[in-house]
Amino acid sequence: MSSLSRISLSATSNPAMSSGLTGGSFADAPTPPVERRESDPPLSRRMTWWGWGERIALATAVVAIAIASLGASQASAADKLTVLLDWFVNPDHAPLVVAKEAGYFARHNLDVELIAPADAASPPRLVAAGQVDVAVSYQPDLLLQVKEGLPLVRFGTLIGQPLSVLVALKDGPVKSLADLRGRTVGYSIAGFQEAYLARMLRSAGLAPSDVRTVNLNFNLVPALLARQVDAVVGAFRNVETVDIRRHGGEPLVFLPEDNGVPPYDELIYVTREALRGDPRLPRFLAAVKEATAAIAADPAAAWKVFAAAEPTLDDEPNRQSYALTASLFAADPGRLDRDRYDAFARFMREEGLVEAVPALDTYATELR
Amino acid sequence: MLLLRALLVALGLFVLWQAVVVLFAPAPYILPPPAAVLAALAERPSLWQGDLLTTLSEAAIGLVAGTALGVLLALAMVILPPLRRILLPVTVVSQAVPVFAIAPILVLWLGFGLAPKIAMATIAIFFPVTSAFHDGLLRTDPQLLDLARLYRAGRFAQVRLLRIPAALPSLVSGLRVAVVYAPIAALFGEWVGASSGLGYAILHANGRSETDVVFAALLLLAAMSVVLRAGVDLLTRNLTPWAPESER
Repeated sequence: MSSLSRISLSATSNPAMSSGLTGGSFADAPTPPVERRESDPPLSRRMTWWGWGERIALATAVVAIAIASLGASQASAADKLTVLLDWFVNPDHAPLVVAKEAGYFARHNLDVELIAPADAASPPRLVAAGQVDVAVSYQPDLLLQVKEGLPLVRFGTLIGQPLSVLVALKDGPVKSLADLRGRTVGYSIAGFQEAYLARMLRSAGLAPSDVRTVNLNFNLVPALLARQVDAVVGAFRNVETVDIRRHGGEPLVFLPEDNGVPPYDELIYVTREALRGDPRLPRFLAAVKEATAAIAADPAAAWKVFAAAEPTLDDEPNRQSYALTASLFAADPGRLDRDRYDAFARFMREEGLVEAVPALDTYATELR
Repeated sequence: MLLLRALLVALGLFVLWQAVVVLFAPAPYILPPPAAVLAALAERPSLWQGDLLTTLSEAAIGLVAGTALGVLLALAMVILPPLRRILLPVTVVSQAVPVFAIAPILVLWLGFGLAPKIAMATIAIFFPVTSAFHDGLLRTDPQLLDLARLYRAGRFAQVRLLRIPAALPSLVSGLRVAVVYAPIAALFGEWVGASSGLGYAILHANGRSETDVVFAALLLLAAMSVVLRAGVDLLTRNLTPWAPESER
């Protein structure tokens, strides 16, 4: 360590090293180290070996390239749109990936950038803060965010049904929801999972206080397989069930919509209030609609497009997950089921997650 | 006096925070005003009655366990020098592995109670203690050691009478570093599986976009760290009367 620092010290204090660059020949005999004099120009000046001619030429080149690229971007002139996903790219995002890769966005004159977030809770806030244009989010969370004052509007649906389920293991102690009494249930961070668990427990004649809950922050499957918890909520029926089987477990799935929770859109598109009338959004939805139709018409061909864009996802678990998901994408992403949204908002109020049911038009819209 | 000074510093920080809020007028979900955060604290007594106590006990037990482990390791390495060649790399490896990465595994091994969080805090704390105390033990005045040998003091007597007293100031420095890391390590443990604690509260509030509650929990965490650090300072103040601190 000390010898290393001594070497680098001598290198910087030895003017011979830099004078080699100022124009002297490299073949010169090594100059003995000399003391730096006050009259010597500073090292930084002596280090620059370019004259004014080269500098002007470089500056001209930079300006020329800048002008050329500006012209090129104006020639293609596709409108940029940044879309923040809810989670790292997975088969749930197939319509978006296919729309981008198979040119549906381009046909609608959009240049869409898909970004995966570091934290599933942050995309709506980044949209509200103006950092991105569109986020993929969840209908239940949207109500919580609107309650906290985030100026968000849902303008489309990616998956128009719940994906989240309560999962136990077939060979575990839980055979029915009533068996959860006195058991431990794990969940992830998403805001409304306690309410949804409470409603499912009540549908089986239990009270929320009959189970112990643990926040697992997305480590659902390992905790379930290690039998640290007896069941988990918030696992996706098309992702975690595949994962459990892959690790040798047999999942026992309870659907929220069959056990007292009103149906809702698992994945939605949100933007901020200021972009409600933005002309890019109807074009975005039209492109996603076409991509969804293409997936429905030929799921295998669409998977090839998806896998080519995301080669790391081209494995058996993701193929199985895609097979379970391909029929679930909203065929008409722009459609808004007003009654269903209001019914779900009432559920959120009944479970005490929001104080009042907000007027639907304040947080959701149907772009036509 | 100390308390008054702490209050004044806290007040100054609050004024700065309020000034930022007034000047830049950020949306409350980006930066909530201090009043909203204090209101969140008042509205949710469970934050300081439950979550704070959970995290505090995790950090405090981890601090005691980590200090004990660190002191024992350092003593073992000095009493049995060959052991150092084995233990020193192991302690370094234990720090090279981020607690964040092993937290999910510790939870699978130890469950969701206090145990994995205490383990995390212990892992984070023992290293600065071992490292500082070991350095201190080795840096004993060689002339004193020569003198002890002339008086035919045994190895244990040398350690007990000379090396440990000489190393106490270093131990205190190590402790002061470690105490700041203890709550963070406990928080990491809560991040991957918890039913209570400040980390749990932060995750929960983050999932519900309740930025004011996130800040309220962070405020409690900061206050806890300051109190823990002050506690260590107080406990160790008279430990080394022969090596007083001088500010001038």
